[in-house]
Amino acid sequence: MTPGSTNSQGRQLAALSAPAVLFTVAMIAFPVVYTIWLGFHAFSSTGEASFAGGANYAALVADGEFWNGLYVTFALYALSMVLQLVAGIYLAMLLFHSKRLSGLLRSLLISPFMMPPVVAGMMWLVILDPSLGAANYILVSLGLPASEWLASPTWVIPTIALIDTWQWAPYVALIVLGGLQSLPPSVYEAAQIDGASPFRIFRRITLPLLLPTIVTAAVLRSVDLLRFFDIIYITTQGGPGNASNTLNIYGFRVGFEFFNIGYASALMITLSAIVLAAVLVLNRLRNAVAW
Amino acid sequence: MNDHSSPRWVHWLNTLQLTVAGILILAPTVWMVLSSFKPSFEVTAYPPTLFFQPTFENYVTLWQTTPFLSYAVNSFVVTIGSTLLGLAFGIPAAFAVSWSRITWPAVLTLAARMAPGTLFLLPWYIMFREVGLIGSYTALILSHAVITMPIVIWVLLPFFDNIPRSVFEAAQMDGCSVTRILWRIALPLVGSGVAVASILAFVFSWNFFLFSLILSNSDTKTLIAAAFNFVGEGSTQWGSLMAAATLIALPPLALAILVQRWLVAGLTLGAVKG
Repeated sequence: MTPGSTNSQGRQLAALSAPAVLFTVAMIAFPVVYTIWLGFHAFSSTGEASFAGGANYAALVADGEFWNGLYVTFALYALSMVLQLVAGIYLAMLLFHSKRLSGLLRSLLISPFMMPPVVAGMMWLVILDPSLGAANYILVSLGLPASEWLASPTWVIPTIALIDTWQWAPYVALIVLGGLQSLPPSVYEAAQIDGASPFRIFRRITLPLLLPTIVTAAVLRSVDLLRFFDIIYITTQGGPGNASNTLNIYGFRVGFEFFNIGYASALMITLSAIVLAAVLVLNRLRNAVAW
Repeated sequence: MNDHSSPRWVHWLNTLQLTVAGILILAPTVWMVLSSFKPSFEVTAYPPTLFFQPTFENYVTLWQTTPFLSYAVNSFVVTIGSTLLGLAFGIPAAFAVSWSRITWPAVLTLAARMAPGTLFLLPWYIMFREVGLIGSYTALILSHAVITMPIVIWVLLPFFDNIPRSVFEAAQMDGCSVTRILWRIALPLVGSGVAVASILAFVFSWNFFLFSLILSNSDTKTLIAAAFNFVGEGSTQWGSLMAAATLIALPPLALAILVQRWLVAGLTLGAVKG
């Protein structure tokens, strides 16, 4: 091949990815820069922009609703993450020790997370209705106290975390199962010959070897959990009061319900920085546990 | 590790736990479908009933009281349009990234999938309003292509990577251009990848809520955005609410089950080989 043809090959390849790159720049890069610009401006009632410096960010620090949003975002994130990792790993171990994964079982496992989150929200809204829902009927029948679920400021975060766990723990399980299946069987055999108990094998061998897979699942879920929107907006819209008002919901409402464009932009930039930081930290962690 | 050495009761205990987990996963969806077929006076009965005379009453009510069909048409137009656009941009990009090993275009599109949608929704709203496209299919399809394009690229990458280089080199010797190799040689070899990518793109575009909530109007509202109104109006109309929920969930679930075997590897964006 002559150098000339390599050159033209490079040009042809660049031309093939150009539409995707240009589309991303037009739809994402430019709007993000625009949002950053908006975040440094104030808008009059007629929509005229004036430079405001860091005023929007200063307002953010003084805004109790922002700190509440930050707390709700991280409480929901931590609780959902722990619940779905534990449930997902548990489910993956069960699947791993049973027979081959049948098509029927796999269909059952993917059904929660392939369903629109909005539909999941509608469905659970009916099941968790405090007075007529099936969930409270089951609790009361078992002699347990009924719960206010989504209507209770105390229970709304755990309830939303449970709904999200119902939807996404099977996804975590399928990822972890993939990791389990790729582990070399020889490590178990050696441990079994040494007479280690199943629990010890799990803690000392399986879990450490699985860590890279688990962290991968955590990264994929983090991105969704930090910008949690659909289920909250369909069920509580941030309520009761502001008990489930995550940063994403709050930013959305400031922008599209109160039309405070500058302030909403500052909120969204802050949330995006948090998502970016979380992904970077978790990627670091993934490299640290890689083997 | 299907250890045949473990005692029988261990096997039964495992099956029992798996059954309980399966019931927990399936029960809410079954309850939704059951409720949609209940007579309206029985949907809100307390204690809830498990056995009843099934009826299509709720579906008829939904049909008569809401423009359900036009919402569904909107959803299909936006979803299919954005899936096609995602394929048109994504297939050549995935091929180029796989061939050249220059990965930044793929990473760039992924960043779009990771950022909170609200981050670009505000500028989009301003930009689309400027050019009079608020409420248009164009705005909805463009915004949803931001979801579909990275899915197409990342699902197809491993498929293109699996084609032996010698195939391309032989074609180049015969004087084929890179573009011609993509359409005539590589694409026919990754047919199943394109199928999985299309279905995943369809599902995630169909399910996406935020963009149509803001960028659609009453004529172009998608089912998912309309669902928000159903919840507001339907606080006592559980039957038709669950009928709507069932119908909205049907297309993505049916499609996903069709390709369930290849789905998981695609969903992790290549992070795990399933």
